[in-house]
Amino acid sequence: MGWISLLFLAVVSYAETKVKGPDKLLTKHAVDAIRYIDGDGRVAYIRKRPGVLGIVSSFRSEEFITDTPQSDFLVIATAMKRKVIVEVIKNQHTVFNVMRSNKLMMFNWGETKGKDIGWGMATRMHMADEWITFYVPEKRTIIVKNLITEKDFTVKLNIKANPFFVPDVTMISADLIVYTDINDQGIASVISYQLRTGKTEVIYKSSQTATRMELCQQDNYLAIGEFPYEGVNRGSKILQMPVMSSFNLGGFTTLYESTEQDIGNIICLDDSVYFIKTMNQSPELGMKTTDAVKLILKTSQIIQKTNLGNVSQLINMDGRVLLPSRGSFYVLEGEYNLSSETLKNPTSKEEPKRDL
Amino acid sequence: MKISLRFLRDQLSKKISGTVLLGLCFSSFAQTTPLETPKSTEYPGLLETFEKLIQVDTTRLKTKTDLLTRTGKNLSDAKTVTNIDLEPDFLNSLILHSDPGYLRLAGQSKCRLADTIITDLLRTADGRVKNVIVTYVNKDNVRETSVLSKRDYLTKVVSVECPESMKLIGEMAIKNLDATIKKVNFELPTGEEQCHSIHIGWLNDPRTPYLCQIHEYIAEANSNAGDAVDLAQRKALARVLAGKMSPSNREYLANICSHLDEEKLFCQDFLYVSFWNKVANGQASRIYAEDICKKALKTGTLSEPQLRECLARMKKESDICLYPAKRSGLAPQMECDLLSAALNYSSFRSDYSDDPAASDQLGVTNMGRIILNINKTPVRPFEGPASVISAAETFTFNDNFDNSEKWQIEACYDNMVTNLEVCQQTVIGKYLGLRQSYTSVVEDILKRTRGAEQNITCGMTSDLEFNPLLLKYKSGCHIVYNPETCQISNCPHKIYYNDRPITHIRIKSSMSLDYFPLSIPSERTSQHYLLANDFRRGARSMGNLSTIISFFKKNRKGVIHGIGCAEELLPSFFKVRAMNQCSPVPFIIDGLIKNEDKTVLVTRTALDTLQAPRLISWSNVFSSVKSYQLLHPMRLWTMYGMD
Repeated sequence: MGWISLLFLAVVSYAETKVKGPDKLLTKHAVDAIRYIDGDGRVAYIRKRPGVLGIVSSFRSEEFITDTPQSDFLVIATAMKRKVIVEVIKNQHTVFNVMRSNKLMMFNWGETKGKDIGWGMATRMHMADEWITFYVPEKRTIIVKNLITEKDFTVKLNIKANPFFVPDVTMISADLIVYTDINDQGIASVISYQLRTGKTEVIYKSSQTATRMELCQQDNYLAIGEFPYEGVNRGSKILQMPVMSSFNLGGFTTLYESTEQDIGNIICLDDSVYFIKTMNQSPELGMKTTDAVKLILKTSQIIQKTNLGNVSQLINMDGRVLLPSRGSFYVLEGEYNLSSETLKNPTSKEEPKRDL
Repeated sequence: MKISLRFLRDQLSKKISGTVLLGLCFSSFAQTTPLETPKSTEYPGLLETFEKLIQVDTTRLKTKTDLLTRTGKNLSDAKTVTNIDLEPDFLNSLILHSDPGYLRLAGQSKCRLADTIITDLLRTADGRVKNVIVTYVNKDNVRETSVLSKRDYLTKVVSVECPESMKLIGEMAIKNLDATIKKVNFELPTGEEQCHSIHIGWLNDPRTPYLCQIHEYIAEANSNAGDAVDLAQRKALARVLAGKMSPSNREYLANICSHLDEEKLFCQDFLYVSFWNKVANGQASRIYAEDICKKALKTGTLSEPQLRECLARMKKESDICLYPAKRSGLAPQMECDLLSAALNYSSFRSDYSDDPAASDQLGVTNMGRIILNINKTPVRPFEGPASVISAAETFTFNDNFDNSEKWQIEACYDNMVTNLEVCQQTVIGKYLGLRQSYTSVVEDILKRTRGAEQNITCGMTSDLEFNPLLLKYKSGCHIVYNPETCQISNCPHKIYYNDRPITHIRIKSSMSLDYFPLSIPSERTSQHYLLANDFRRGARSMGNLSTIISFFKKNRKGVIHGIGCAEELLPSFFKVRAMNQCSPVPFIIDGLIKNEDKTVLVTRTALDTLQAPRLISWSNVFSSVKSYQLLHPMRLWTMYGMD
C-alpha cells in the first residue's frame, strides 16, 4: 500500500443538544424553478417554463436556452463564478434512463451566449473553472477537458460490478485528477491519474465490498468518504488528506469512523465536512433515521444540524449548503433569506457586456 | 405423572373447540351431563383433573359402547328418523382425544364434523374411530341411541345428511386424485393479511379433511407407526399418494394440517422462514438463487447439490447475495437476509430475467414487468438482449390498444426506385411470433432490397460468439450486436447476409412513450391511462401510508406502480450535484412489511433485477415521488395502485 494512514480515530464528541430546525431557503423565485442561485442571491438561473432556461439578476431577466418542453436543465457553477456549465436533459419525462448523456453547454458567468462542449453527465468544474470533468456512461469513460485550450483527456473506467455506477472526480492539479471506481468484486477504490503520462495509481482501496467512495475538495484538503450502499451492513468512514503544492499521495487522517450505515453525500467546507449520518437504524428491515451533521475538522466534533429524520441529499452551491427535501430546500450553511426587495449593486462580474 | 404445558394448552383449546362442536351437534337437543366432574381426585389440582377426565371418559365410552352393542339397537334407515346427532359421551371423547387443529376443522359445520370422522382425523379414547355412537328421534318421537360401524355411519347418516361429502370421497379416489389435487390452490402468502385469508380458506374448504387424511396417512406410514402387519402395504400406498403431489405441495399440506388451529405458526412458515428454504424445498423457483450461487461457487452451471450447498451458505453468509454473476441490475443487491425478507412478502412475477442494464427506456422495462405480471402468459423464446422481452410486451400492449404510433423505433432503408426513405417499426432483438422483431424486419427488407429467399431467417448473434471464419456464419443472415451496448432503443450492430455486410439498413429512434400523462390532450395515450382504463386495472392514487396499507389489505396481489427521483429513492446510489436534479425512475411496489411502528415497502425499481427487490422506507418513496411531482409538467402525483 502506497500510503500511510495516520489513522487517529475520531473521538466523536457528539453534540446531542436540541437541534434547531434548519431554515428554508427563501427567494423571490419559486424554488422548484431555480437551477442555480449564487451566494447572495444576485444571480439565479431559472427554468422559466418547460424547456426554457433563463438568467435573472438585479437588472435583467433573460431567456437564453430554449429546448423542447420535455427538456430540463442542470446548472453547474463554482464559487469562482467564471464559467457556467448547463446540462440539457432531453426528454426528461418520456425517456427514463439514469445513465444518459446530456448535452453540455458552456457559458461565461452571467452571459447568455454559450457553446456546446460535448455529451455526458455528472459534470464538475475544477481549478478556478479552467477545467471540467464529465462522465460518458455509454463508453464508461471520464472526459477531462480544458475549457481554454479545449484539450480532452479520456480515462476509461474498470466498473463491471454495477452497470449504474457514476464516478466521483476531483482535480488536484492541472496534471492530476483523482476519481472513484469499483472492480468486478465490488471493491471501491480511489485512483489518481496523471493527465500527461496517463499513469494511474490506487491511492485508497476499500478493504471490503459494497461500499462506495465519495470525494470532495476544499482549498487545502481532499476528503474521501467511504459509505455503504443501502441494504448492506458496513460501517462508514471519512478520511482527510492535505493538498499541498506538491501533492503527496500518502498521509491520510481518519476524521470520522462509525459502524453506522451512513448515507454520506459529503460536502467540504473550509473548516468542516457536512454529511448525512444515520442516527438510528432497524437492522431487521434496514430502516434508517438520517440527518445532516457537520464534522468539525479541527476537533472531529459532530454537530447535528437537522432533526428531519429522512435526509438523503446535500448540495453545495456557492458555499451555501442546501438540503433538498420534498420540494423544499433547507439552508444549513449560508444566508437563507434571499427574498429581500432591496436592489443590490451589480458586481463587475454580474453585468458583463450585454447586447442591449 | 408429568403433564406438559403443551398438553394443558391443547386441552384448554379442546374445551373451546368442544363447545363449538357441542353447539353444532346439540342445537336442538340439550346436552345431558355427559361427564361428571369426579367427586374427589387422588391428586387434587388442575392438571390432575384433566388426567381424571380422560380416565373417566375412557371408562364411560367403553361401557356405553359395550351396552349398546349388547342391546343391539340398530339404526336401519336414517331417512326414517330425525335429529341425528353424535352421542354426547362419544363427542366428549372425540374432543378429549383429537388434535385441536382437526377439532377446529370439525367445528366449522356438521358435515365437516362428519368428514373429519370419516377421514380418521378425529380420535376417541380407543384411537381411530371404528364405531360411531349416534342419537336420533325415531318415528315414535322417542330419542334413541345406536352404535354404528363407520361404514354404516357413512352410508346411513353421512350420505343422507351431507351429500357433498360423498361427492368428495369420489373425487379423492386414487384414480381421480391427480385431477382433484390439480384444482387445489396451494397459494403462498406474501403478507399477514393474505396469510390470514388463506388460512381461513383452508378451514372452510370441504376438501381439507380429505387432503389432511392423505397427509396423515403418508406421515404415519413413513414413521412406521400403526399396525405392523400391513405396514408394507401402507408404505406402498403412501408412496403412490406422495407421488401425486410435488414436494413443495406436500410441505404446504403438512404445514396447514399441522397448524389448522395455529394461524400464526402456519404463516410463520411462509413469512418468517428464510426464503432460501423455500427455494431449497421447491416452494420458490431456483431463479432467485441461481445467479447468486453461480457467483458464490464460481461456476457457470449449477447442479442441484451445488444449489443446496449454496442455499445453506446464503442463510449464514449474508454477503454472497450482493453481487450476482450476471451484472444485469443495480448492484450491490441487498444482503441475503433482507433480500429473503423482501421476497417472502412479494408475489410479483419474477420467473424470467429482463436485464435492466440493457434498458435505456426504464419506462418500457417497468411496463413490460407489469404486463407480464398481469397476463401471466409465458415469456416467448427470444434472441438478443433480454430487454427485448419488455420491449416486445410493451409494444404488443400498445399495439393492442391502437397506440403503437408512439413506438418510434424504426428500421429504415432508402428505396432506390422512389428515392424515398422507407421505415418500419421495430423492436430490437428477436421475440418469437412478433413480426416487428428486428430480425423479422431485416428479413423483410432483405427480401425487398436484396432479393433474399422467402424463407430467409435472421438471427441475433453476440459479437463475442460471432466468428466469420466459422462455416455457420458464412451463409444466412446474422445481426451481430454487442451485449454491453445493445439497449432497447439504441443498439450498435452489424448485419451480415451471406457473408457480406449489409449497410443500407439503419435504426432510427426517437421514443417518447408517456408513462404518466404529460398533458391533458395526450392523456389517453399514456401507459398509465391504458393500464387503468383500457386494460381495466383501476388507478387509486397512493398518497399516504394508510392508503397503501388498506390497498394491500384489500388486494392481496395488488401492485402499485409509480415514478420517483432516483436520488431520493436510492440516495446511496445516486448523488445530487445540482439544484432540482432528478433522475426519474419507474418502480413497482407489491408488498409491505410492518414491524411495530415501522413499515417498509417491497420495491422493484426498474434498475433492479426482477429477482432482487429492495426494502425501501415509505419516507424515501414519498420523498422521491413528491420531488418528481414538482418537476412534472402537470404536477401529477405519480404513484397508483392497480387491482
